[in-house]
Amino acid sequence: MLQPELVSKLLTTAHQYGADFAEVYVERWRRRHLRVLNREVKEALSGLEYGAGVRLFFGTEVVYAYTNDLSEANLLEVTETLARLKGEKGRVDARGAGGLDFRKQTATGLHAPKMPLESQDKRYRLERLLEAEAAARVAPEIKRVETRLLEWDQEVLVANSEGAWVEDRRVRTRLVVVAIAEDERGAQTGSAGPGLSAGLELFERFPPAEVGRRAGMQALTNLRARPAPAGTMPVVIGNAFGGVIFHEALGHLLETTSVAKKASVLSDKLGEPVASPVVTYIDDGTLAHGWGSSEYDDEGHPTERTVLIENGVLKSYMVDRLGSLKTGYRPTGSGRRQDYTFAPTSRMRNTFIAPGDTPKEALFEGIEFGLYAADMGGGQVRPGSGEYNFAVKEGYIIRKGRIEEPVRGAMLVGKGPETIQRIVAVSDDLANAPGMCGSLSGSIPVEVGQPHLLVSELVVGGQA
Amino acid sequence: MTFEEAKTYLLERAQALRVQLEVFGSHQRELSLKAHEGRLEEVKQAQRGGIGLRLVENGRVGYAYTEDLTPPSLDWALEEARQNAALQSETGGFLPKGHALGHQDTLGEGLSAPLEAKQRAALEFEANLRKDPRVGQVMFAGYTEREVAVHLGSTEGASGTYRAGLAGLMGSMVMREGTSLKQGWGADWAGEFHVLDPGRTAHTLLERTGRLLGARPLKTGRYTAYLEPRAFAHLLLAFWSLWSGKAVLEGKSRLAGKLGTRIASPAVTLVDDPTFPQGLVRRPFDAEGTPARRTVLVEAGVLRNYLTNSEAALRLGVANTGHAARDYRGTLGVAPTNLVVEPGAGVTFETGVIVSEVMGVHAGANPISGEFSLQALGLWVEDGEIRHPVENFAISGNFLELLERVVAVGAELEWTFMGVAVGTPVVAVADLSFAGA
Repeated sequence: MLQPELVSKLLTTAHQYGADFAEVYVERWRRRHLRVLNREVKEALSGLEYGAGVRLFFGTEVVYAYTNDLSEANLLEVTETLARLKGEKGRVDARGAGGLDFRKQTATGLHAPKMPLESQDKRYRLERLLEAEAAARVAPEIKRVETRLLEWDQEVLVANSEGAWVEDRRVRTRLVVVAIAEDERGAQTGSAGPGLSAGLELFERFPPAEVGRRAGMQALTNLRARPAPAGTMPVVIGNAFGGVIFHEALGHLLETTSVAKKASVLSDKLGEPVASPVVTYIDDGTLAHGWGSSEYDDEGHPTERTVLIENGVLKSYMVDRLGSLKTGYRPTGSGRRQDYTFAPTSRMRNTFIAPGDTPKEALFEGIEFGLYAADMGGGQVRPGSGEYNFAVKEGYIIRKGRIEEPVRGAMLVGKGPETIQRIVAVSDDLANAPGMCGSLSGSIPVEVGQPHLLVSELVVGGQA
Repeated sequence: MTFEEAKTYLLERAQALRVQLEVFGSHQRELSLKAHEGRLEEVKQAQRGGIGLRLVENGRVGYAYTEDLTPPSLDWALEEARQNAALQSETGGFLPKGHALGHQDTLGEGLSAPLEAKQRAALEFEANLRKDPRVGQVMFAGYTEREVAVHLGSTEGASGTYRAGLAGLMGSMVMREGTSLKQGWGADWAGEFHVLDPGRTAHTLLERTGRLLGARPLKTGRYTAYLEPRAFAHLLLAFWSLWSGKAVLEGKSRLAGKLGTRIASPAVTLVDDPTFPQGLVRRPFDAEGTPARRTVLVEAGVLRNYLTNSEAALRLGVANTGHAARDYRGTLGVAPTNLVVEPGAGVTFETGVIVSEVMGVHAGANPISGEFSLQALGLWVEDGEIRHPVENFAISGNFLELLERVVAVGAELEWTFMGVAVGTPVVAVADLSFAGA
């Protein structure tokens, strides 16, 4: 996307102003979005994004600029202006004037698509969405169905003043179905949205009809559901997207962005027990075709599998370059950003709780009255206080150890460090699900996951 | 190519192809300065722009955009937009008749202060936050400004540009008292840099967060809620799409079919006004070139209007309120600009919960059903006196039922900006459900 000579010139310019480290990030991103409502195409959109970000470190102080004018003159001007904000020209680059000798690394294609953006025509995509829609109409109460297909094809180049030159391509595809069920009492929704780092072969792993049916059934369940009860009670959290609770309650607290400032309640706790001993928590950027996977992170560092918590003991944080510089912790390939308009920060990739050995059925035994949070919406956390919340998308009452009537509108709230101590049993049915995570460096794809698990008590926000 | 050159190129190509085309370009500049422990920790300066196309061929609409303004990329976008239009089974799509809108500048010299002054503001803000001994860590604190230039052109005669911008101070910090920890955040925005006051913003943020320290659990029950402006603004931001003409058309709004009926307490009057003189955001015309004007959404509890663009207005058979909205990377929708809850006679605290903020709005609020269940923070008030802060609870209900139960509206507007600006006073709501211990 940019020639090595130009990149070298930009990085050298930064050095001449005294920057300790310089990085150039370039991306060219094609996206498609197709939205169908009640069998009609409502929106069909294609786009091309093209831009670069230049980041310089002066100690642990960072200056960042981005632009989508990628002409040599503009990029040089941007870099000079940026460098001038912090430094003064005069330092001689130790590597001389001959430019950088880049060590080129190219992805091996671990997550390469079988059916990329160019394959099949648009009609083929539309037909798959119509299949999903038809299957979502599980009952006459399903009045509206909206389906969406998102396709991304992102080419990335990261080069830095240490001589790294990394090219990566990330292809991602996601199908989202939202069903609306309606009767005289009102409207309720159900949704399903599988996504992979893959092309249209997503439809083989997740047949559109199955995805549609799941959304339709959930809407119908919610229509028949009563408002959730309010109060503190034991909660069994479903697998797959259930993992979002620990993404919020635990994952964000382990990112060096807040850990380095001691602004996370889990700062300085390496080697200490921070969770119930049944909890092992892993962040893995290498899962083949995982929605949050990539071969390299957005700083050009290879991604890896990082064990964060092992049997309740804190083993590692998620560390980006700046975080590593500030804390001394080893980088874990966790530097991520939404796109060229954001400087990277430490972020999660595919983060999940490892399976335990309790059979799923055993989690419910002995619960006199509680909530089964079968499927989850999103959530939010304040790392500084650990206060988090997340929404239950499909929930049921547990009475005398049995799953009984559906309830809707439940919100689980709590403090992360307390909740992770209260996990009393973990089942053996680990599954992951995709989501979008918003934080300082923008909105990025992540997977969350877990087996079914039991939390001894949680505040359930429902109708009082 | 420049925007204007790209616009001319695309409109000429569209005429040759005999298709209708609207070109919406925007170019944004951003400066952000973050301070940490007395030094500038992060400086960001940036520019980004692109062109979005809305193409109509045989009554079918297709979209595409590009940030690369070279002829091959512009041609690619045009071709993709045509292919996308051909996918539609629905016809009847159109571009509104447009006219010359000229060049308007709503920003003026608003952001013209020297860089050094802005750096000082960021540093001063952070230093003021650290003055309070209860502040453990400042997560971030700094100054941000954004400036946008919008260009519009169409084969139907629309043509115009405008420039707008905002400056803001934003921060977040953790406060501690004993074992109680609270992370506060706050932001103050203004149309002009010199209106910002780092001391005042820091003081407000410290006060708002500090009063929540030592919070106790709240007993589950139904109480009167005194929703502070920021909390009510977040609810409105989660639920404004109930008024979206596009949502009404698509069967996704519970306000469908209710024009002229009472949907809220008579205490509620809700307006969107992109021309509001004290509004944070100003725009002279919308994304299709319809001139901006004040629109009453709810008048003393009665639903008066939806927010519409030309298509929603035509299909619903109502007037176009000029709320077409788009980013060049998106498709045409509708959106408010300055949502204003008109001030009322004032709120007298009796017994209940002052809700200072709500969290988890993106997940816990369902704009289709109107239902919400949200984590909240606040203060217990009894017989008109604040007794102690409360935490670890959620408020829940249906937003439309909440509007019916509004018993009083405060007398003073306070602004919150999150893409849309919301001006609202304190809103008192009877009998809201609180789930806690």
